[in-house]
Amino acid sequence: MADVSLTHIYKVYPNGTKAVNDFNMQIRDKEFIVFVGPSGCGKSTTLRMIAGLEDISAGELKIGDLIVNDMEPKDRDIAMVFQNYALYPHMTVYENIAFGLRLRKLPKDEIHRKVCEAAEILGITEYLNKKPKEMSGGQRQRVALGRAIVREPKVMLLDEPLSNLDAKLRTQMRAEIGKLHARLKTTFIYVTHDQVEAMTMGTRIVVMKDGFVQQIDTPKNLYNYPGNKFVAGFIGTPQMNFFEGTLLKKGDNVLIKFEYTDAQITVPYSLLYKAKPSYLDGQKVVYIGLRPEDISLAPEDVKNNKAVVKVVVSHKEDLGSETLVYGDINPDGDGYVESSTRIIIKDNSGRDLQAGDVVEAALNIERVHLFDKETEESVLPRVPEYNYLDCEVKKGKLKFLGAEVELPEAVQTDDLKGELLLPTNAVTLGGNLQAELVSCEEINGVYLLSLTLGGKRLYAVSHEAVEKKSVGIGIDFKKITVTADGETKISPMPELNCFDCKFVKQKTREEVEVKGKLKKKKVVRFGFAAHDAFFEASDEMSQKIFAALGIKGAHTTALRMECDAYHLAVSENGIAAEALETLDYGTEKFLKCKVGENTVYVKTDTDYSGNICLLPDFEHIGIVEIEREIKII
Amino acid sequence: MKTKYRSKKGAERASLVAIYAVLIIISIIWLIPFLLLIILSFRGETVGMSADYIFPKQWSFNNYVKLFTETQFLRWYGNTLLVSVVVTIVQTIIILATSYALSRLRFKLRKPLMNLMLVLGMFPGFLSMTAVYFVLKEINLTQNLFGLILVYTASSAMQYYICKGFFDTIPKSLDEAARIDGASRHTVFFKVILPLAKPIIIYTVLQAFIAPWGEYMFSSFVMLGDPDHFTVAVGMKSWLDSSQLMAEGYFSIFCAAAVIVSIPITALFIWLQRYYVEGITGGSVKG
Repeated sequence: MADVSLTHIYKVYPNGTKAVNDFNMQIRDKEFIVFVGPSGCGKSTTLRMIAGLEDISAGELKIGDLIVNDMEPKDRDIAMVFQNYALYPHMTVYENIAFGLRLRKLPKDEIHRKVCEAAEILGITEYLNKKPKEMSGGQRQRVALGRAIVREPKVMLLDEPLSNLDAKLRTQMRAEIGKLHARLKTTFIYVTHDQVEAMTMGTRIVVMKDGFVQQIDTPKNLYNYPGNKFVAGFIGTPQMNFFEGTLLKKGDNVLIKFEYTDAQITVPYSLLYKAKPSYLDGQKVVYIGLRPEDISLAPEDVKNNKAVVKVVVSHKEDLGSETLVYGDINPDGDGYVESSTRIIIKDNSGRDLQAGDVVEAALNIERVHLFDKETEESVLPRVPEYNYLDCEVKKGKLKFLGAEVELPEAVQTDDLKGELLLPTNAVTLGGNLQAELVSCEEINGVYLLSLTLGGKRLYAVSHEAVEKKSVGIGIDFKKITVTADGETKISPMPELNCFDCKFVKQKTREEVEVKGKLKKKKVVRFGFAAHDAFFEASDEMSQKIFAALGIKGAHTTALRMECDAYHLAVSENGIAAEALETLDYGTEKFLKCKVGENTVYVKTDTDYSGNICLLPDFEHIGIVEIEREIKII
Repeated sequence: MKTKYRSKKGAERASLVAIYAVLIIISIIWLIPFLLLIILSFRGETVGMSADYIFPKQWSFNNYVKLFTETQFLRWYGNTLLVSVVVTIVQTIIILATSYALSRLRFKLRKPLMNLMLVLGMFPGFLSMTAVYFVLKEINLTQNLFGLILVYTASSAMQYYICKGFFDTIPKSLDEAARIDGASRHTVFFKVILPLAKPIIIYTVLQAFIAPWGEYMFSSFVMLGDPDHFTVAVGMKSWLDSSQLMAEGYFSIFCAAAVIVSIPITALFIWLQRYYVEGITGGSVKG
């Protein structure tokens, strides 16, 4: 019955171990959220922070409208179910369930009514007078659930509640917990390491690894659009096949060459349209991911598909309804070891295959996933970040996709022929260029517009749905990059300005009115000192700083203040800066300044020169601890 | 195969016989002094310690009657009981509280504090006896039962070790579950942890009672020269020290006193041992 919001949540243990890094999530009311990941990924720690059993090192946790960082667990109106049930062994089932209500001093008849109701929902009415040790694991877990639901909490937290049960009971309890969620209409947060549990129960899943959130999405999207190799490999059984290979764009086709084998296939470029252009050079090695169910051995598929590779069968696992065929796309590979040529195929054709057989397998490239070899991030994102286009600059005009736009003064360059890196969010709606809308789909709250300009594809993102067939678009020039002959000719303006700062205590003597009289009094103020300027911090900010860094550390730790160009103003006082030049982007003007070693940009309409002062808008600044890269505010 | 099976069973039986034989011998050796004490306490004739026979020539309750009418024993007995009961209560509370804190709370210097207490506890108490005596004298607590209670309870916290070990075996998730259910730290302690800690409470109570009940060294120092405040151990030792009293038949009275002294401890143990059962945490968590 409440939203839960986690903003820049960190957990750092006293020995320096970072268990949770920059956890951000908005959990809506009545959602069933599942945290999933291998052991030690920080999922339980995050849950325990929400429960109040662990301190939050930095960040803000809200349940409903209340910030609950420093609230006792009992005041947070949450309930939790533990992996080991944690029933009170000296109490009967009834007393176990009633314990929380008794502590809250509810009238006896009300307690009785609620306990009986909960027992009925969970089907444990007949055990109410038994002690936990007389019950089986499944029954105990029901009691633990009963103890949680009887309090009608705002948020239900479940920490691997089913891992101690056997497989059959687990399936049954899984369904029951799902039913319970539908019935209680409460926010559920569920921790598990079992991806099947996650996929079947969650409305949204948070995949975590090593303290970092890998991806937050619905089960379907996680399966279809994994954001990185880890998520791709974690979700789905048997695991996705990962091959290494290179992609080379040749006209309207792309040649995919697999590493460690001679296998290669040619596919139409339209299937890999969203792939980051820099990976289509035939040089960069990427992971090519294909799920076992997207590879077919059926003769008609092999006949109709151009993307066919030869597979040496090594062994198979017959599961009754289908067969898992293990093999290798390298004729000398062995198919047992997980390697970048091993292939697992879900085969429904019922063919009788023997070890050593060579078969042809059709790859469904529409369902392919590509990941960078170093970062393991997807290079085939759902929402592409960039449009990668050929362009030409001639007499101050930028030509791309057959269109021509005037370059503003700030990004003028000599005539050239090169490439334009146009971020999808730099394509603005409501400009002079006329483009055709092909499709508009909603992805995680933003709309991806697929447009054609001069007959070629162009992607744009928008915050609202677009329905018109013909769309006027413009270009946000401060985000574009133009390169020619490997040299960057136009570079984008950084999104955030950074200032080094420290958190300081300032003592002053001031005249303060006390009982109608002016008196000199010592006043202590906390604030940020950045390049000789002092900004008073609000109480809320000070609290966050102290909570994250401790009383001692708060004043000694090096911090970075971040602020975008729109929330920085030229003012009478503030951070001393030297105005360098005014950049004119056509519709907007920015002042380029120098503060210490850093270059900062300020949105302004007037020209300045010489020494000026900059004043950040404190409502919109971020404070980051430099050493550990922790965003505190 | 069959012969092997039989020989295995035979070997098992032989080893059992050997074990029981040893146990019986040990228990006889342990019980003989106590039986001797009981028999001697019923001796009717007045002979000293030097008599060279065991079974009395004349059975009688006279020693017990004399013990309560002619000597200060009843007073000493009362003193000892008072001291022991108070020490038991105070010490049990302190030990349980310390152990729980050391088991559940995480604070700076927790480990060093635990080690320090452990090391200090290894030194025999009498090393500090003279110092303690002078301190008590300065605050006028010598020849005073309260002084004795103070000495006995002052270092209670150092005996946290076994109790903490027990608390450590109670899953932390029980505390956490209770805290989420709405319990404060002390509610958790009293409503969840203590009911589960019965065996260790019994153990602590027994230890806390037995120590002051039979303690001689400190009490003889603190109560020096004040027979009104003697404990049983000090009082009875004073009989043994006097050869005149021994010759007058006090030896049999001494034996009677020893029997009386052993009664509370035996009774306490018999009463409490039924709570001394294990497996009380069964069913709380997956075991």
